[in-house]
Amino acid sequence: MFKSAAHDAVQTGSRNAAPRDVSATPDGDAKVAVTAELLSTWLGFADVQRRTLDIVQGELTRTSDHVETSTLDLSERFRELARKALEQSERVAQIVDTAGSVDIDGERVPLDRLVVGMQDVITDMVTNIVTLSRHAMSMVYLLDDVQKDVAELEKSIGDIDGINRQTNFLALNATIEASRAGEAGRTFAVVAQEVRHLSRSTGELADRMRGTVTAVVKGVRNGHDILRQIANTDMSPQMLAKERVDKTMDSLVAQTNHFQSVLETAASVSSDMSSTIAHVITGMQFQDLTKQRIEAINDSLAIMSAGLGELETRIRAQVPPAIGAREPQEWLNQLMGRFTLSEMRERFVRRLLLEGTALDENGVLDLDAAGGSSAGGDIELF
Amino acid sequence: MDYGIEVRDQEAVIRLRGRLTFNDHAKLRALIGEMGQNKLKRQVLDLSSLEFVDSAGIGMLLIAREEMDRAAKQFILRGAAGQVKRVLTVAQIAKIVPIED
Repeated sequence: MFKSAAHDAVQTGSRNAAPRDVSATPDGDAKVAVTAELLSTWLGFADVQRRTLDIVQGELTRTSDHVETSTLDLSERFRELARKALEQSERVAQIVDTAGSVDIDGERVPLDRLVVGMQDVITDMVTNIVTLSRHAMSMVYLLDDVQKDVAELEKSIGDIDGINRQTNFLALNATIEASRAGEAGRTFAVVAQEVRHLSRSTGELADRMRGTVTAVVKGVRNGHDILRQIANTDMSPQMLAKERVDKTMDSLVAQTNHFQSVLETAASVSSDMSSTIAHVITGMQFQDLTKQRIEAINDSLAIMSAGLGELETRIRAQVPPAIGAREPQEWLNQLMGRFTLSEMRERFVRRLLLEGTALDENGVLDLDAAGGSSAGGDIELF
Repeated sequence: MDYGIEVRDQEAVIRLRGRLTFNDHAKLRALIGEMGQNKLKRQVLDLSSLEFVDSAGIGMLLIAREEMDRAAKQFILRGAAGQVKRVLTVAQIAKIVPIED
């Protein structure tokens, strides 16, 4: 298809240098002698250039579409992210609201108030223990005294018995002395008899008193024993439990406050994230501008391509058929060197080599079909 | 528990030693009696050598304070440490009886 130049002579189009080769035509067109090699080279270059321009346009459109699709996808994902960040911040805010309080019988009670309330309850409990201990000890001392008094009472009853025995003995002696006195002692014998009766009654009374006192002593001793058991139950460990409870409560409040402040930070970070993402989405509008620029560039390229094609056609019409287009191998190599992305190079090669062949007619050059062989050609970017 | 009384110029200092529990109630009653007998206005209970006090002991200290009140004497707790100090603090005894370090 490409043929080497017919002759080697090089002649410039300069008016000074070659007046004999230039013949003016009536309409002003000037004819210039050009070597067949230069023409052949130009034709080859023009062919490659036109096709390259087409490919570049195609690549630009493809790139613009790719950026558009990706940007839309990214925007959608970022919007989703922003929505989730906002949801998260709302959820955390809810936790922050409820973290500092607990639900008691349908009422929200702040934790610090609850803790103070519980500490008050325990303080009251300890105070009650102290008061009870004091009262128990007072009772113990009181019953100690009562027991002493009752023992005293038992002794007194014993004393009454002694006195009663003596009285009885005296009355008996009086009776004997009265009978010895005969008629003169009769009245005295009656008195002595009465004293004996009195003594017996006193003895009976002392017995009854002893029975009652014994019952009282038994009751008091039982009560005393029970009270000793109560007072002897050491409640100081329960009192000291307040220390532990206080520490636990303080720690609980401190921990809750810490959680709350961490969660507040988390909520504000989520909210910041959401607004940053909104900015990112706004920033993605660069794609719209890029698309317009690429379209403008593509339009320019199309005009250039059309102009080149037209010029090529006009020149081809004036060039003898013997002069073919020479393949610009060096430029092609340079161009190929630029396409480091295999999928892109493949499209370029197909377009350049197969255009106008039978394969072209069978749709092999279809742009979207190209590059199918290298799945994920984008990866080569890295 | 055992104790020793030291009568100084301004105050009588009673030093308690060992453990003050319910079992000492008779001994403490005797002590309260002794405190009421001496002429000094300030009766100081030195608790620095006391290792332990139970709830009955706290009750007895309060009874001692009531008895001193009745006898128009000042009653002071001094130098409590360890478990004794903790129990006195938790029971808020300082609200009722002056406590010195």
